[in-house]
Amino acid sequence: MEEQAVSYRSVNENPCHMCMPIGAILPFKGVERSMVLIHGSQGCSTYMRRHISEHFNEPVDVGSSSLNEKGTVYGGEANLKQGLDNLIKIYHPSLIGVLTTCLAETIGEDIDRIGQEYLRERKMDNFPLVTVPTPGYGHSHSEGFSLAVKRILARLARKSPSHGRINVLVPNISPADLREIKRLLEIMGVRYTLLPDFSETLDAPFTSPYHKIPSGGTGLNSIREMPGAIATLQMGVTLEEGFSPGKYLEEEYRVPLFNLPLPIGLENTDTFIRSLQKVTGAPVPEILLKERGRLLDAMVDAHKYNFAGRCIIFGEPELVYAMAGTCLENGVTPVAVATGGKGAKLKTLLQTLRDRYAADAPDTGNGKGVGPVFLPEADFDIMRRTARERGANLAIGHSGGKYLTEKEGIPLVRMGFPIHDRVGGQRIFSAGYAGTTVFLDRITNTLLERKLSGYRERIYRQFYRGKKYDLV
Amino acid sequence: MGLREQDIDSILDVYPAKVKRNRKKHILLRDTALETQEIEANARTIPGIISNRGCAFAGCKGVVLGPLKDFVHIVHGPIGCAYYTWGTRRNKARIEDPKQYFLNYCFSTDMQESDIVFGGEKKLAGMIDEVVETFHPNAIAVTATCPVGLIGDDIQAVAREAEKRHGVPVMAFNCEGYRGVSQSAGHHIANNGLMEHVIGRGDLEEPPTRFAVNMLGEYNIGGDSWEIERVLRDIGYEVIAVMTGGGSFETLKNAHVANLNLVQCHRSINYIADMLEKKYGTPWLKINFIGINNTIQSLRNMAVYFGDAKLQERTEEVIAREMSRVEPVLEQYRKICQGKTAFCFVGGSRGHNYQGIFAELGVETILAGYEFAHRDDYEGRAIIPQIKINADNQNIPELTVEPDKKRFRMKVSPEKMAELQEKIPLCEYKGMIVEMQSSSLIVDDLNHFETEAFIERLKPDIFCSGIKDKYVAHKMGVPSKQLHSYDYSGPYYGFKGAVKFAQDITMGFVSPTWNYITPPWKNKPLLKGDVQKEEVQNVGLYTKRT
Ligand code: SF4
Ligand code: SF4
Repeated sequence: MEEQAVSYRSVNENPCHMCMPIGAILPFKGVERSMVLIHGSQGCSTYMRRHISEHFNEPVDVGSSSLNEKGTVYGGEANLKQGLDNLIKIYHPSLIGVLTTCLAETIGEDIDRIGQEYLRERKMDNFPLVTVPTPGYGHSHSEGFSLAVKRILARLARKSPSHGRINVLVPNISPADLREIKRLLEIMGVRYTLLPDFSETLDAPFTSPYHKIPSGGTGLNSIREMPGAIATLQMGVTLEEGFSPGKYLEEEYRVPLFNLPLPIGLENTDTFIRSLQKVTGAPVPEILLKERGRLLDAMVDAHKYNFAGRCIIFGEPELVYAMAGTCLENGVTPVAVATGGKGAKLKTLLQTLRDRYAADAPDTGNGKGVGPVFLPEADFDIMRRTARERGANLAIGHSGGKYLTEKEGIPLVRMGFPIHDRVGGQRIFSAGYAGTTVFLDRITNTLLERKLSGYRERIYRQFYRGKKYDLV
Repeated sequence: MGLREQDIDSILDVYPAKVKRNRKKHILLRDTALETQEIEANARTIPGIISNRGCAFAGCKGVVLGPLKDFVHIVHGPIGCAYYTWGTRRNKARIEDPKQYFLNYCFSTDMQESDIVFGGEKKLAGMIDEVVETFHPNAIAVTATCPVGLIGDDIQAVAREAEKRHGVPVMAFNCEGYRGVSQSAGHHIANNGLMEHVIGRGDLEEPPTRFAVNMLGEYNIGGDSWEIERVLRDIGYEVIAVMTGGGSFETLKNAHVANLNLVQCHRSINYIADMLEKKYGTPWLKINFIGINNTIQSLRNMAVYFGDAKLQERTEEVIAREMSRVEPVLEQYRKICQGKTAFCFVGGSRGHNYQGIFAELGVETILAGYEFAHRDDYEGRAIIPQIKINADNQNIPELTVEPDKKRFRMKVSPEKMAELQEKIPLCEYKGMIVEMQSSSLIVDDLNHFETEAFIERLKPDIFCSGIKDKYVAHKMGVPSKQLHSYDYSGPYYGFKGAVKFAQDITMGFVSPTWNYITPPWKNKPLLKGDVQKEEVQNVGLYTKRT
């Protein structure tokens, strides 16, 4: 598969990814009564709170050890311990995540040792303190997310008697999609532990009175018992070695691991439902068959518009992969697929998709190419150039893509994290048959809007004045 | 309705004893009977207490340098810091030359583990070369984030070399996030750099008109300074440079020719205003263009400074014309806002600067404070000699300036200066505290816990702060207004801005949404049913819970 060279430049011009700790905050928000403290100077945590808040439209509380110059010289141990004291006194959390930053990692802070010492000093030996080393320069926010899930498991999981539930591990998706996955699990009659689950905490209903730590999130006991599950379904086909929480459960506790794509798209949702059916052995309930039927109906109705779509897809690997599949099975051609990180596995997976769908597809771009090029470690400068070269007329991804709209007039279907220039990032619904249907509608309608807005003029120029024009 | 000392005490009881002692010094109950009241500020943030403060990098790159549109801003560091300052402040700028406009870009050296180990100087130098080649910007600013200072990259040297190599101004700013205690350190670092490397670099010797001013400490959020510039131009002023909203290298380099510096945000710029006086003999005037009365007063004070009859006349004409336009519109909003209360917790100057417009609308500010201000912003400049230098503010290099041999021109004689100071706040600022009502609260570095506690106790009708804490207010059923970035609205300055502000605030009060917070099945039977019913009918849809 074609791959654009990236390392020839020192510039990252308009980045597509964020740093590791911001990704690691999110899973903690999906664990019952938990809080996060970031070890470093306060700027990092303030910025991350700001960005997470803006996406979810929710308060997001993250503490900082507020290191300053003195801390950088003599070490930040005292600050970290004081920070933990204060956090515990004010919030009474049941679990605390301690993350590092570039600063803490560069001065070589050993948060494991400090954490253990702290618990011993305060006589809180059993308190679940979860440390996650997340240097901003280490990896992107996607790896931060999965590493945090893995560390939460590593701290809490205990050998447990078999209890007949399954583990469901999810990447960074919207609370709306988390709720849909839970609904599907319930419809299928599966007992499960979902980790992380920020469907309530980061999209909390208005209630009175307000609670500093919102209710919801995966219960600590459920996490402790995850080793007793029948199997783990992990929506993590793109996860790299060392970042897979499911792998951890398999290696440490022999819980069989099934890696699946996110259930976005017809085939991906089929895969998910089929896996659940294997667990229960029962037939798929009528209600889901109807939802599947409706999706198919929508696909049939929309195919004539979708074939004109040439999209650039970008964002976190797991989501990007699921979106690429969804586009392909609907006849929308992804001309480029980009991610801010390295995405080695994603590349192979996309290759397979491309061979299946795009190998014999006609070139709707009139010579601009079929099937996606893969852009790892991409920034929006590369994406912009590639989008132009390959005649993209649609972008699908987070708010960073507004740059493609501003510079190239390519409309953006917002999806993923972060959404900071629109409300409702937390409600973007795309999972399951029902979610896929609305996701597809968003794509088709964006294409239609574009088509209809300049339709008369284009047709006039194309047919009456003989000018050749793109088929869009 | 207000709180007493013992109420504050009981709120703070949640804290460990040491933290409580610390926080008490940052919280002040206003007593107008006292001549002076002290407050602690610009002190270290307490670890684990969720503060709204950012870091020096945020203040330097995010706030002060970021708005300069013909600079390419290179963030030297790992990707996060750069990403988080990408277009988040809503500072607007006109595109005069599309080839010299870089505000919607975000450039980072995206340091990796290997750069941390082996140093990132080479990567940075390479990036500067690429940027010059691709964009030919008027100037380049390199800002450092935390790891850079720790691994010892000499960005100053890299910048100097690059400037020599390309003949393009390249400036480096050591604004690593761990310096100082808040954004304020970063403002200082940025402004010092601009003072040293940009102002005075142009070759203009005389201002184009006598009434030439600079606007300092104004960041053009949502188009604020455009509204001010409109009015100033109409009166006959020439705005040489804005520091830095909508500003540029091209305009800033000639800022030395102005005859007066206007200071909007005292916190971020007062030291530069002082330096400009020392170096070029230009005094500064504290103005405040937020609210009708403040705007009018500021315009009149400017006219007093220049002492020109024609200018004074024109000033009054413009004021009268603008007033006839806005007054009738404002009246309808005033009716709704009258008697409401507000929290006003913002940055380093807006916590004070917005109180005037609230008062005009009949809204009382019952709690105000700053995120990163210093004591002089609360207590006035008289306190400056008493502020102790400590380990935290020491590490920001002080810049000392001398009168410029060629360009120093004393704009007003010492006698005239003394005379003017009797009438207008020339080189003077009295701070927030004096303007606050008895039994209102002043809170420095308000944190998440206190935000919630004070909202619960004081039940303000509107909560004004930033994006991180506004959702706490929403969850408590209190409307909010972001006074950092205006929730995508604005401008709020000057005459037209006052109307926009009044409209936005009123919208918060009258939104029918608030009527649905209590579900109908939870309504308790009303004891005084008749009275309440009547009230509701009178105001129709536009009711708000009482
Ligand atoms: S504190 Fe340091 S690392 Fe964090 S955002 Fe500020 S400069 Fe970046
Ligand atoms: S890249 Fe590093 S220094 Fe910057 S915000 Fe992320 S953790 Fe903090």
